[in-house]
Amino acid sequence: MADDDALPEAAERRLGSGGFSSGLSVPDFAACLAMGLRPVGLVQGFCVMKWSWYGAGSPYQQASSPYSAGGDGGAYAETYRCPHGFVSADHRAWGQNYEQTWVEAAWAQGFGSAYVRLVEEATAAGAHGVIGVVDRARHLTELGVTEFHILGTAVVVDGGSPPPGGRPWTTYLAGQRLAKLIEAGLMPVALAAAMSSVRVWAYCMTDYLMEGRNLSWGGAGAQEVDQVVRAHMAVRQLARSHVRGQLGSDSLHGARLTTSERRLGEGDEVIECILRGTRVRRFKDFDPVAPPMPTVSLS
Amino acid sequence: MSARPSPDPAPADIRAELRRATEALAAGDGGRGRAVTSDLSIDEALLLHSIGWEPVELVCGVSLCSIPSGIWSWGQGEIAVASAAQGMAFEGAVSRIADECTRSGGHGVVGVHVEVAVDRYHVDVELVGTAVRPVGASSGADVFVSDLSGRDFSLLHQAGWRPVGLAYGASFVYAPRRSASTSLKQSRENVELSNFTEAMYSARELAMERMQSTALTMGGTGIVEVKVTEGPMPFAHHAIGFAAWGTAVRLEAESHAYLRPRVVLSLDDAVVQFEAESLRSQ
Repeated sequence: MADDDALPEAAERRLGSGGFSSGLSVPDFAACLAMGLRPVGLVQGFCVMKWSWYGAGSPYQQASSPYSAGGDGGAYAETYRCPHGFVSADHRAWGQNYEQTWVEAAWAQGFGSAYVRLVEEATAAGAHGVIGVVDRARHLTELGVTEFHILGTAVVVDGGSPPPGGRPWTTYLAGQRLAKLIEAGLMPVALAAAMSSVRVWAYCMTDYLMEGRNLSWGGAGAQEVDQVVRAHMAVRQLARSHVRGQLGSDSLHGARLTTSERRLGEGDEVIECILRGTRVRRFKDFDPVAPPMPTVSLS
Repeated sequence: MSARPSPDPAPADIRAELRRATEALAAGDGGRGRAVTSDLSIDEALLLHSIGWEPVELVCGVSLCSIPSGIWSWGQGEIAVASAAQGMAFEGAVSRIADECTRSGGHGVVGVHVEVAVDRYHVDVELVGTAVRPVGASSGADVFVSDLSGRDFSLLHQAGWRPVGLAYGASFVYAPRRSASTSLKQSRENVELSNFTEAMYSARELAMERMQSTALTMGGTGIVEVKVTEGPMPFAHHAIGFAAWGTAVRLEAESHAYLRPRVVLSLDDAVVQFEAESLRSQ
Protein backbone atom coordinates (compact mmCIF):
# COMPACT_ATOMS: atom_id res chain seq x y z
CA MET A 1 0.00 0.00 0.00
CA ALA A 2 1.41 3.33 -1.02
CA ASP A 3 0.07 5.27 1.93
CA ASP A 4 -0.33 3.33 5.14
CA ASP A 5 -2.81 5.84 6.55
CA ALA A 6 -5.28 5.80 3.67
CA LEU A 7 -7.72 3.16 2.53
CA PRO A 8 -8.31 2.56 -1.18
CA GLU A 9 -10.98 4.95 -2.48
CA ALA A 10 -13.33 2.09 -3.36
CA ALA A 11 -13.02 0.69 0.16
CA GLU A 12 -13.90 4.05 1.69
CA ARG A 13 -16.92 4.32 -0.62
CA ARG A 14 -18.06 0.78 0.20
CA LEU A 15 -17.67 1.17 3.96
CA GLY A 16 -19.51 4.50 3.91
CA SER A 17 -22.45 3.29 1.83
CA GLY A 18 -24.76 2.61 4.79
CA GLY A 19 -25.46 -1.08 4.14
CA PHE A 20 -23.45 -3.75 5.88
CA SER A 21 -21.69 -6.93 4.80
CA SER A 22 -20.69 -9.75 7.10
CA GLY A 23 -18.84 -13.04 7.03
CA LEU A 24 -20.90 -14.43 9.92
CA SER A 25 -23.04 -17.53 9.62
CA VAL A 26 -26.75 -16.91 10.22
CA PRO A 27 -26.69 -18.40 13.78
CA ASP A 28 -23.60 -16.33 14.64
CA PHE A 29 -25.24 -13.23 13.15
CA ALA A 30 -28.36 -13.76 15.28
CA ALA A 31 -26.28 -14.44 18.39
CA CYS A 32 -24.27 -11.26 17.86
CA LEU A 33 -27.43 -9.16 17.51
CA ALA A 34 -28.69 -10.68 20.77
CA MET A 35 -25.43 -9.62 22.45
CA GLY A 36 -25.73 -6.05 21.18
CA LEU A 37 -23.11 -6.41 18.45
CA ARG A 38 -24.12 -4.71 15.20
CA PRO A 39 -22.20 -5.72 12.03
CA VAL A 40 -20.93 -2.81 9.94
CA GLY A 41 -18.86 -4.52 7.27
CA LEU A 42 -16.71 -7.41 6.15
CA VAL A 43 -13.16 -6.13 6.51
CA GLN A 44 -10.03 -7.68 5.04
CA GLY A 45 -6.30 -7.29 4.92
CA PHE A 46 -3.88 -8.72 2.36
CA CYS A 47 -0.12 -8.87 2.05
CA VAL A 48 1.96 -10.74 -0.51
CA MET A 49 5.49 -11.54 0.60
CA LYS A 50 8.50 -12.86 -1.28
CA TRP A 51 9.71 -15.82 0.72
CA SER A 52 13.38 -16.64 0.76
CA TRP A 53 16.06 -18.34 2.77
CA TYR A 54 18.08 -15.18 2.45
CA GLY A 55 17.60 -12.04 4.48
CA ALA A 56 19.02 -9.71 7.08
CA GLY A 57 20.62 -11.83 9.76
CA SER A 58 20.85 -15.00 7.68
CA PRO A 59 24.16 -16.85 7.49
CA TYR A 60 24.15 -16.27 3.74
CA GLN A 61 24.01 -12.52 4.06
CA GLN A 62 26.66 -12.61 6.72
CA ALA A 63 28.84 -14.43 4.17
CA SER A 64 29.84 -16.95 6.78
CA SER A 65 29.51 -20.67 7.17
CA PRO A 66 26.15 -21.80 8.47
CA TYR A 67 28.12 -23.93 10.88
CA SER A 68 29.76 -20.97 12.47
CA ALA A 69 26.79 -18.65 12.96
CA GLY A 70 23.78 -19.13 15.17
CA GLY A 71 21.58 -16.35 13.84
CA ASP A 72 21.01 -13.10 15.69
CA GLY A 73 22.25 -12.53 19.18
CA GLY A 74 19.93 -14.19 21.67
CA ALA A 75 18.45 -16.55 19.09
CA TYR A 76 18.31 -20.28 19.71
CA ALA A 77 21.39 -22.17 18.50
CA GLU A 78 23.05 -25.44 19.48
CA THR A 79 26.16 -27.03 18.07
CA TYR A 80 26.91 -30.76 17.72
CA ARG A 81 30.35 -32.22 17.21
CA CYS A 82 31.34 -35.50 15.63
CA PRO A 83 32.48 -38.07 18.23
CA HIS A 84 34.65 -39.98 15.72
CA GLY A 85 37.57 -37.64 15.13
CA PHE A 86 38.79 -36.94 11.61
CA VAL A 87 37.37 -39.44 9.13
CA SER A 88 37.30 -37.77 5.73
CA ALA A 89 36.63 -34.41 4.16
CA ASP A 90 33.04 -35.53 3.43
CA HIS A 91 32.37 -36.54 7.00
CA ARG A 92 29.86 -34.27 8.77
CA ALA A 93 32.09 -33.26 11.62
CA TRP A 94 29.83 -30.40 12.76
CA GLY A 95 26.11 -29.94 13.07
CA GLN A 96 23.94 -27.14 14.24
CA ASN A 97 20.33 -26.28 15.08
CA TYR A 98 19.60 -22.60 14.78
CA GLU A 99 16.64 -20.30 14.77
CA GLN A 100 16.01 -18.60 11.43
CA THR A 101 15.08 -15.20 12.79
CA TRP A 102 14.95 -13.61 9.33
CA VAL A 103 12.32 -16.15 8.21
CA GLU A 104 10.31 -15.48 11.37
CA ALA A 105 10.58 -11.75 10.78
CA ALA A 106 9.36 -12.12 7.18
CA TRP A 107 6.35 -14.15 8.34
CA ALA A 108 5.61 -11.59 11.07
CA GLN A 109 5.84 -8.79 8.51
CA GLY A 110 3.43 -10.54 6.14
CA PHE A 111 0.91 -11.51 8.81
CA GLY A 112 1.31 -8.22 10.66
CA SER A 113 0.80 -6.07 7.54
CA ALA A 114 -2.35 -7.96 6.56
CA TYR A 115 -3.62 -7.65 10.14
CA VAL A 116 -2.90 -3.91 10.35
CA ARG A 117 -4.76 -3.38 7.05
CA LEU A 118 -7.77 -5.30 8.37
CA VAL A 119 -7.79 -3.15 11.51
CA GLU A 120 -7.44 0.04 9.40
CA GLU A 121 -10.54 -0.90 7.43
CA ALA A 122 -12.44 -1.61 10.63
CA THR A 123 -11.32 1.71 12.12
CA ALA A 124 -12.44 3.55 9.00
CA ALA A 125 -15.83 1.88 9.29
CA GLY A 126 -16.15 3.18 12.85
CA ALA A 127 -16.09 -0.34 14.31
CA HIS A 128 -15.40 -1.20 17.94
CA GLY A 129 -14.23 -4.71 17.17
CA VAL A 130 -13.71 -7.38 14.53
CA ILE A 131 -15.17 -10.83 15.18
CA GLY A 132 -15.10 -14.21 13.44
CA VAL A 133 -11.64 -13.55 12.04
CA VAL A 134 -10.27 -16.11 9.58
CA ASP A 135 -6.67 -16.05 8.41
CA ARG A 136 -4.87 -18.03 5.79
CA ALA A 137 -1.53 -18.09 4.06
CA ARG A 138 -1.13 -19.73 0.67
CA HIS A 139 1.55 -19.96 -1.95
CA LEU A 140 0.92 -18.04 -5.14
CA THR A 141 2.09 -19.17 -8.54
CA GLU A 142 5.71 -18.19 -8.19
CA LEU A 143 7.84 -20.31 -5.89
CA GLY A 144 8.52 -18.57 -2.62
CA VAL A 145 5.67 -16.08 -2.88
CA THR A 146 3.11 -16.24 -0.10
CA GLU A 147 -0.19 -14.41 0.23
CA PHE A 148 -1.47 -13.55 3.70
CA HIS A 149 -5.20 -12.91 3.85
CA ILE A 150 -7.12 -12.02 7.01
CA LEU A 151 -10.83 -11.25 7.06
CA GLY A 152 -13.50 -10.72 9.69
CA THR A 153 -16.69 -8.87 10.46
CA ALA A 154 -16.38 -5.36 11.89
CA VAL A 155 -18.94 -4.71 14.62
CA VAL A 156 -20.15 -1.88 16.82
CA VAL A 157 -21.16 -2.53 20.43
CA ASP A 158 -24.52 -0.85 21.00
CA GLY A 159 -24.06 1.49 23.96
CA GLY A 160 -20.49 0.24 24.44
CA SER A 161 -17.33 2.26 24.96
CA PRO A 162 -15.07 2.86 21.96
CA PRO A 163 -11.86 0.84 22.06
CA PRO A 164 -8.73 2.43 23.53
CA GLY A 165 -7.00 4.66 20.97
CA GLY A 166 -9.86 3.98 18.53
CA ARG A 167 -8.15 0.71 17.58
CA PRO A 168 -10.76 -2.07 17.34
CA TRP A 169 -10.32 -5.29 19.29
CA THR A 170 -10.18 -8.50 17.26
CA THR A 171 -11.01 -12.15 17.82
CA TYR A 172 -11.29 -15.47 16.01
CA LEU A 173 -14.51 -16.10 17.93
CA ALA A 174 -18.07 -15.11 17.04
CA GLY A 175 -21.62 -15.91 18.04
CA GLN A 176 -22.40 -18.14 20.98
CA ARG A 177 -18.74 -18.94 21.68
CA LEU A 178 -17.98 -15.23 21.99
CA ALA A 179 -20.99 -14.80 24.28
CA LYS A 180 -19.70 -17.57 26.55
CA LEU A 181 -16.23 -16.05 26.63
CA ILE A 182 -17.59 -12.68 27.73
CA GLU A 183 -19.94 -14.17 30.30
CA ALA A 184 -16.97 -16.09 31.67
CA GLY A 185 -15.31 -12.70 32.28
CA LEU A 186 -12.89 -12.58 29.36
CA MET A 187 -12.85 -9.83 26.73
CA PRO A 188 -10.98 -10.23 23.41
CA VAL A 189 -8.15 -7.79 22.91
CA ALA A 190 -6.40 -8.80 19.69
CA LEU A 191 -5.22 -11.73 17.63
CA ALA A 192 -1.94 -13.17 18.81
CA ALA A 193 0.13 -15.10 16.29
CA ALA A 194 3.76 -15.98 15.70
CA MET A 195 5.87 -18.28 13.60
CA SER A 196 9.14 -19.91 14.54
CA SER A 197 11.63 -21.56 12.23
CA VAL A 198 14.55 -23.80 13.09
CA ARG A 199 17.11 -25.16 10.61
CA VAL A 200 18.75 -28.49 11.34
CA TRP A 201 22.22 -28.96 9.84
CA ALA A 202 22.82 -32.58 10.67
CA TYR A 203 26.12 -33.78 12.03
CA CYS A 204 27.29 -37.31 11.28
CA MET A 205 25.27 -39.13 13.95
CA THR A 206 22.03 -37.40 13.01
CA ASP A 207 22.71 -38.12 9.34
CA TYR A 208 23.26 -41.82 10.08
CA LEU A 209 20.22 -42.16 12.31
CA MET A 210 17.83 -40.35 9.96
CA GLU A 211 19.00 -42.50 7.04
CA GLY A 212 18.73 -45.79 8.93
CA ARG A 213 22.47 -46.35 9.28
CA ASN A 214 22.20 -46.82 13.05
CA LEU A 215 24.71 -49.59 13.27
CA SER A 216 27.46 -47.56 11.58
CA TRP A 217 29.94 -46.08 13.99
CA GLY A 218 28.69 -47.96 17.01
CA GLY A 219 25.06 -46.87 17.09
CA ALA A 220 22.36 -48.91 18.85
CA GLY A 221 19.39 -50.65 17.23
CA ALA A 222 16.72 -48.03 17.89
CA GLN A 223 17.51 -44.74 19.50
CA GLU A 224 16.27 -41.20 19.85
CA VAL A 225 17.73 -38.70 17.39
CA ASP A 226 18.75 -36.11 19.93
CA GLN A 227 19.56 -33.24 17.55
CA VAL A 228 16.21 -33.45 15.74
CA VAL A 229 14.19 -33.95 18.93
CA ARG A 230 15.80 -30.86 20.46
CA ALA A 231 15.03 -28.87 17.31
CA HIS A 232 11.38 -29.96 17.46
CA MET A 233 11.07 -28.99 21.11
CA ALA A 234 12.87 -25.69 20.48
CA VAL A 235 10.68 -24.63 17.55
CA ARG A 236 7.52 -25.17 19.62
CA GLN A 237 9.03 -23.39 22.60
CA LEU A 238 10.03 -20.43 20.41
CA ALA A 239 6.53 -20.05 18.93
CA ARG A 240 5.03 -20.03 22.42
CA SER A 241 7.66 -17.60 23.63
CA HIS A 242 7.02 -15.21 20.70
CA VAL A 243 3.27 -15.27 21.39
CA ARG A 244 3.82 -14.80 25.12
CA GLY A 245 5.74 -11.65 24.21
CA GLN A 246 2.56 -10.27 22.64
CA LEU A 247 0.30 -11.09 25.59
CA GLY A 248 1.59 -8.90 28.41
CA SER A 249 -0.44 -9.98 31.42
CA ASP A 250 -3.33 -11.17 29.23
CA SER A 251 -4.05 -14.78 28.27
CA LEU A 252 -4.19 -16.74 25.04
CA HIS A 253 -7.50 -18.45 24.33
CA GLY A 254 -8.21 -21.08 21.68
CA ALA A 255 -4.57 -21.60 20.74
CA ARG A 256 -3.87 -23.54 17.54
CA LEU A 257 -0.36 -24.86 17.11
CA THR A 258 0.62 -26.26 13.70
CA THR A 259 4.00 -27.60 12.71
CA SER A 260 5.48 -28.41 9.31
CA GLU A 261 8.75 -29.98 8.25
CA ARG A 262 10.75 -29.87 5.05
CA ARG A 263 13.24 -32.71 4.91
CA LEU A 264 16.23 -31.77 2.81
CA GLY A 265 18.09 -35.08 2.93
CA GLU A 266 21.05 -36.45 4.88
CA GLY A 267 19.33 -35.48 8.11
CA ASP A 268 19.00 -31.80 7.20
CA GLU A 269 15.60 -30.22 7.59
CA VAL A 270 13.67 -27.06 8.33
CA ILE A 271 10.98 -27.15 11.01
CA GLU A 272 8.41 -24.38 11.24
CA CYS A 273 5.73 -23.82 13.84
CA ILE A 274 2.81 -21.38 13.81
CA LEU A 275 0.85 -20.56 16.97
CA ARG A 276 -2.24 -18.39 16.84
CA GLY A 277 -5.16 -17.60 19.10
CA THR A 278 -7.13 -14.77 20.67
CA ARG A 279 -5.50 -12.59 23.30
CA VAL A 280 -8.11 -12.15 26.03
CA ARG A 281 -8.26 -9.96 29.14
CA ARG A 282 -10.08 -10.79 32.33
CA PHE A 283 -12.43 -7.91 33.19
CA LYS A 284 -14.22 -9.50 36.14
CA ASP A 285 -13.58 -12.27 38.60
CA PHE A 286 -14.56 -15.71 37.43
CA ASP A 287 -18.07 -16.69 38.36
CA PRO A 288 -18.21 -20.44 37.78
CA VAL A 289 -21.26 -21.98 36.20
CA ALA A 290 -23.02 -24.91 37.80
CA PRO A 291 -21.82 -28.35 36.66
CA PRO A 292 -23.89 -29.01 33.56
CA MET A 293 -26.61 -31.64 33.55
CA PRO A 294 -25.56 -34.70 31.53
CA THR A 295 -28.15 -35.66 28.96
CA VAL A 296 -28.73 -38.56 26.61
CA SER A 297 -30.34 -37.51 23.37
CA LEU A 298 -32.99 -39.73 21.83
CA SER A 299 -32.72 -38.11 18.44
CA MET B 1 -11.44 -26.08 45.34
CA SER B 2 -12.01 -22.39 45.85
CA ALA B 3 -14.29 -21.70 42.90
CA ARG B 4 -17.70 -23.20 43.41
CA PRO B 5 -20.86 -22.11 41.65
CA SER B 6 -23.50 -20.13 43.47
CA PRO B 7 -26.52 -22.33 44.29
CA ASP B 8 -29.13 -20.63 42.13
CA PRO B 9 -27.39 -18.33 39.66
CA ALA B 10 -29.53 -15.90 37.73
CA PRO B 11 -29.17 -15.67 33.93
CA ALA B 12 -26.68 -12.98 32.97
CA ASP B 13 -27.61 -9.96 30.88
CA ILE B 14 -25.13 -10.58 28.07
CA ARG B 15 -25.56 -7.09 26.61
CA ALA B 16 -24.70 -5.54 29.96
CA GLU B 17 -21.72 -7.89 30.34
CA LEU B 18 -20.43 -6.88 26.91
CA ARG B 19 -20.77 -3.17 27.69
CA ARG B 20 -18.96 -3.73 30.98
CA ALA B 21 -16.17 -5.56 29.14
CA THR B 22 -15.74 -2.74 26.59
CA GLU B 23 -15.64 -0.18 29.39
CA ALA B 24 -12.88 -2.13 31.13
CA LEU B 25 -10.96 -2.35 27.87
CA ALA B 26 -11.39 1.38 27.19
CA ALA B 27 -10.25 2.19 30.72
CA GLY B 28 -7.07 0.23 30.07
CA ASP B 29 -7.58 -2.10 33.01
CA GLY B 30 -4.76 -4.61 32.97
CA GLY B 31 -5.32 -8.35 33.04
CA ARG B 32 -6.05 -9.95 36.37
CA GLY B 33 -3.88 -12.78 37.59
CA ARG B 34 -1.46 -14.94 35.70
CA ALA B 35 -1.35 -15.12 31.91
CA VAL B 36 -2.68 -18.44 30.66
CA THR B 37 -2.20 -20.10 27.28
CA SER B 38 -4.61 -22.84 26.30
CA ASP B 39 -5.92 -24.68 23.27
CA LEU B 40 -9.14 -25.61 25.03
CA SER B 41 -12.44 -24.33 23.69
CA ILE B 42 -14.42 -21.93 25.86
CA ASP B 43 -16.83 -24.79 26.60
CA GLU B 44 -13.99 -26.96 27.85
CA ALA B 45 -12.57 -24.12 29.96
CA LEU B 46 -16.00 -23.52 31.52
CA LEU B 47 -16.47 -27.22 32.22
CA LEU B 48 -13.08 -27.37 33.89
CA HIS B 49 -14.02 -24.40 36.07
CA SER B 50 -17.32 -26.06 36.95
CA ILE B 51 -15.37 -28.87 38.65
CA GLY B 52 -12.86 -26.49 40.24
CA TRP B 53 -10.00 -26.85 37.73
CA GLU B 54 -8.37 -24.28 35.44
CA PRO B 55 -6.07 -24.27 32.38
CA VAL B 56 -2.49 -23.16 32.95
CA GLU B 57 -0.29 -23.52 29.89
CA LEU B 58 -0.09 -24.95 26.38
CA VAL B 59 2.47 -27.78 26.55
CA CYS B 60 4.18 -30.06 24.01
CA GLY B 61 6.24 -33.22 23.87
CA VAL B 62 8.05 -34.62 20.85
CA SER B 63 10.23 -37.62 20.22
CA LEU B 64 11.77 -39.12 17.12
CA CYS B 65 13.44 -42.54 17.21
CA SER B 66 15.49 -44.04 14.45
CA ILE B 67 14.97 -47.47 12.89
CA PRO B 68 17.96 -49.20 11.29
CA SER B 69 17.79 -49.96 7.57
CA GLY B 70 17.18 -53.52 6.46
CA ILE B 71 14.74 -54.49 9.16
CA TRP B 72 11.70 -54.17 6.90
CA SER B 73 12.85 -56.91 4.52
CA TRP B 74 11.12 -60.30 4.69
CA GLY B 75 11.32 -62.22 7.94
CA GLN B 76 9.26 -63.98 10.55
CA GLY B 77 7.63 -62.93 13.79
CA GLU B 78 7.79 -59.50 15.34
CA ILE B 79 9.98 -56.70 13.97
CA ALA B 80 11.26 -56.03 17.46
CA VAL B 81 13.50 -53.05 16.66
CA ALA B 82 10.65 -51.11 15.04
CA SER B 83 8.31 -51.96 17.92
CA ALA B 84 10.94 -50.77 20.38
CA ALA B 85 11.47 -47.55 18.42
CA GLN B 86 7.78 -46.69 18.52
CA GLY B 87 7.53 -47.50 22.23
CA MET B 88 10.61 -45.39 22.91
CA ALA B 89 9.21 -42.48 20.88
CA PHE B 90 5.93 -42.55 22.83
CA GLU B 91 7.79 -42.73 26.13
CA GLY B 92 10.07 -39.81 25.21
CA ALA B 93 7.20 -37.60 24.06
CA VAL B 94 5.09 -38.36 27.14
CA SER B 95 8.05 -37.68 29.40
CA ARG B 96 8.71 -34.29 27.78
CA ILE B 97 5.11 -33.07 27.88
CA ALA B 98 4.90 -34.16 31.52
CA ASP B 99 8.10 -32.21 32.27
CA GLU B 100 6.65 -29.09 30.64
CA CYS B 101 3.46 -29.56 32.66
CA THR B 102 5.42 -29.81 35.90
CA ARG B 103 7.45 -26.69 35.07
CA SER B 104 4.29 -24.71 34.33
CA GLY B 105 2.72 -25.66 37.66
CA GLY B 106 0.12 -28.01 36.18
CA HIS B 107 -1.18 -31.18 37.78
CA GLY B 108 -1.90 -32.86 34.47
CA VAL B 109 -2.39 -32.39 30.76
CA VAL B 110 -5.80 -32.78 29.09
CA GLY B 111 -6.97 -32.72 25.49
CA VAL B 112 -3.67 -34.10 24.22
CA HIS B 113 -3.55 -34.38 20.43
CA VAL B 114 -1.48 -37.42 19.48
CA GLU B 115 0.30 -37.47 16.12
CA VAL B 116 2.22 -40.60 15.15
CA ALA B 117 4.13 -40.98 11.89
CA VAL B 118 6.04 -44.13 10.93
CA ASP B 119 8.74 -43.72 8.32
CA ARG B 120 11.10 -46.35 6.96
CA TYR B 121 13.95 -45.05 9.13
CA HIS B 122 12.25 -43.34 12.05
CA VAL B 123 9.09 -43.02 14.13
CA ASP B 124 7.84 -39.56 15.14
CA VAL B 125 5.45 -38.89 18.01
CA GLU B 126 4.11 -35.42 18.77
CA LEU B 127 1.86 -34.50 21.71
CA VAL B 128 0.19 -31.11 22.26
CA GLY B 129 -2.22 -30.35 25.10
CA THR B 130 -3.13 -27.98 27.88
CA ALA B 131 -1.72 -28.28 31.40
CA VAL B 132 -4.45 -27.94 34.04
CA ARG B 133 -4.65 -27.79 37.82
CA PRO B 134 -7.18 -27.32 40.61
CA VAL B 135 -7.98 -23.59 40.83
CA GLY B 136 -5.17 -21.78 42.62
CA ALA B 137 -3.26 -24.97 43.50
CA SER B 138 0.53 -25.08 43.69
CA SER B 139 2.61 -27.42 41.52
CA GLY B 140 1.60 -31.05 41.45
CA ALA B 141 4.07 -33.80 42.29
CA ASP B 142 2.54 -36.54 40.18
CA VAL B 143 1.29 -35.18 36.86
CA PHE B 144 -0.87 -37.14 34.43
CA VAL B 145 -1.05 -36.95 30.63
CA SER B 146 -4.44 -37.61 29.05
CA ASP B 147 -5.93 -37.40 25.60
CA LEU B 148 -9.39 -36.92 27.06
CA SER B 149 -11.11 -33.66 26.11
CA GLY B 150 -11.91 -31.09 28.79
CA ARG B 151 -15.52 -32.33 28.67
CA ASP B 152 -14.59 -35.97 29.19
CA PHE B 153 -12.12 -35.08 31.92
CA SER B 154 -14.82 -33.20 33.84
CA LEU B 155 -17.31 -36.07 33.41
CA LEU B 156 -14.72 -38.54 34.62
CA HIS B 157 -13.96 -36.30 37.58
CA GLN B 158 -17.63 -36.03 38.53
CA ALA B 159 -17.95 -39.81 38.35
CA GLY B 160 -15.13 -40.16 40.89
CA TRP B 161 -12.34 -41.27 38.56
CA ARG B 162 -9.02 -39.68 37.69
CA PRO B 163 -6.68 -40.12 34.73
CA VAL B 164 -3.24 -41.43 35.62
CA GLY B 165 -1.45 -41.27 32.28
CA LEU B 166 -1.34 -42.02 28.59
CA ALA B 167 -1.06 -45.77 28.06
CA TYR B 168 0.39 -46.94 24.76
CA GLY B 169 1.61 -50.02 22.97
CA ALA B 170 2.87 -50.77 19.47
CA SER B 171 3.99 -53.74 17.47
CA PHE B 172 5.17 -54.50 13.96
CA VAL B 173 4.94 -58.06 12.64
CA TYR B 174 6.00 -59.69 9.37
CA ALA B 175 3.22 -61.30 7.34
CA PRO B 176 4.86 -64.66 6.50
CA ARG B 177 5.61 -65.41 2.86
CA ARG B 178 3.25 -67.69 1.00
CA SER B 179 4.77 -70.53 -0.95
CA ALA B 180 4.88 -70.14 -4.71
CA SER B 181 2.21 -72.81 -5.17
CA THR B 182 -0.09 -71.20 -2.56
CA SER B 183 0.37 -67.80 -4.09
CA LEU B 184 -0.40 -69.14 -7.57
CA LYS B 185 -3.42 -71.03 -6.33
CA GLN B 186 -4.80 -68.07 -4.40
CA SER B 187 -4.42 -65.75 -7.38
CA ARG B 188 -7.44 -67.49 -8.92
CA GLU B 189 -9.56 -67.69 -5.74
CA ASN B 190 -11.63 -65.50 -3.48
CA VAL B 191 -9.92 -66.57 -0.30
CA GLU B 192 -8.75 -65.23 3.03
CA LEU B 193 -5.03 -64.43 3.16
CA SER B 194 -4.53 -66.07 6.49
CA ASN B 195 -0.89 -65.02 6.72
CA PHE B 196 -1.99 -61.36 6.81
CA THR B 197 -4.88 -62.03 9.18
CA GLU B 198 -2.58 -63.89 11.54
CA ALA B 199 0.02 -61.12 11.37
CA MET B 200 -2.64 -58.55 12.26
CA TYR B 201 -3.80 -60.63 15.22
CA SER B 202 -0.25 -61.12 16.36
CA ALA B 203 0.56 -57.39 16.14
CA ARG B 204 -2.72 -56.56 17.87
CA GLU B 205 -2.09 -58.89 20.80
CA LEU B 206 1.42 -57.62 21.38
CA ALA B 207 0.45 -53.93 21.16
CA MET B 208 -2.65 -54.27 23.35
CA GLU B 209 -0.71 -56.22 25.94
CA ARG B 210 1.97 -53.51 26.04
CA MET B 211 -0.65 -50.78 26.35
CA GLN B 212 -2.35 -52.55 29.26
CA SER B 213 1.00 -53.19 30.86
CA THR B 214 1.92 -49.47 30.78
CA ALA B 215 -1.51 -48.63 32.25
CA LEU B 216 -0.98 -51.04 35.16
CA THR B 217 2.55 -49.72 35.72
CA MET B 218 1.10 -46.22 36.07
CA GLY B 219 -1.37 -47.43 38.68
CA GLY B 220 -4.40 -47.45 36.41
CA THR B 221 -7.14 -50.00 36.65
CA GLY B 222 -8.42 -49.49 33.11
CA ILE B 223 -8.09 -47.52 29.91
CA VAL B 224 -10.73 -45.33 28.27
CA GLU B 225 -10.95 -43.83 24.78
CA VAL B 226 -8.55 -46.33 23.23
CA LYS B 227 -7.53 -45.42 19.68
CA VAL B 228 -5.97 -47.90 17.32
CA THR B 229 -4.13 -47.60 14.04
CA GLU B 230 -3.29 -50.71 12.07
CA GLY B 231 -2.35 -51.88 8.63
CA PRO B 232 0.53 -52.64 6.32
CA MET B 233 3.36 -50.14 6.11
CA PRO B 234 3.22 -48.08 2.89
CA PHE B 235 6.92 -48.75 2.28
CA ALA B 236 6.79 -52.48 3.22
CA HIS B 237 3.43 -54.09 2.49
CA HIS B 238 4.39 -57.37 4.11
CA ALA B 239 4.93 -55.65 7.47
CA ILE B 240 1.84 -55.09 9.61
CA GLY B 241 1.85 -52.32 12.21
CA PHE B 242 -0.54 -51.93 15.12
CA ALA B 243 -0.49 -49.10 17.66
CA ALA B 244 -2.94 -48.41 20.47
CA TRP B 245 -3.15 -45.66 23.04
CA GLY B 246 -5.67 -44.31 25.51
CA THR B 247 -6.01 -42.73 28.93
CA ALA B 248 -5.36 -44.98 31.90
CA VAL B 249 -7.77 -44.25 34.75
CA ARG B 250 -8.40 -45.31 38.31
CA LEU B 251 -11.20 -44.80 40.79
CA GLU B 252 -10.40 -42.05 43.30
CA ALA B 253 -13.72 -41.93 45.10
CA GLU B 254 -14.95 -44.80 47.26
CA SER B 255 -17.27 -45.89 44.50
CA HIS B 256 -18.28 -44.86 41.02
CA ALA B 257 -20.71 -41.94 41.07
CA TYR B 258 -23.50 -42.59 38.61
CA LEU B 259 -24.23 -39.31 36.87
CA ARG B 260 -27.85 -40.13 36.02
CA PRO B 261 -28.09 -38.33 32.72
CA ARG B 262 -31.45 -36.81 31.85
CA VAL B 263 -33.00 -38.30 28.73
CA VAL B 264 -34.00 -35.63 26.25
CA LEU B 265 -35.88 -35.92 23.00
CA SER B 266 -35.31 -32.99 20.70
CA LEU B 267 -38.35 -31.88 18.73
CA ASP B 268 -36.26 -29.62 16.55
CA ASP B 269 -34.00 -30.62 13.68
CA ALA B 270 -31.77 -27.61 14.24
CA VAL B 271 -28.37 -28.60 15.57
CA VAL B 272 -26.89 -25.13 15.86
CA GLN B 273 -27.95 -22.68 18.52
CA PHE B 274 -29.59 -19.65 16.98
CA GLU B 275 -29.33 -16.92 19.59
CA ALA B 276 -26.84 -16.07 22.27
CA GLU B 277 -28.09 -17.40 25.56
CA SER B 278 -26.80 -16.98 29.05
CA LEU B 279 -25.02 -19.98 30.49
CA ARG B 280 -27.35 -19.65 33.46
CA SER B 281 -30.59 -19.50 31.49
CA GLN B 282 -33.22 -22.11 32.37
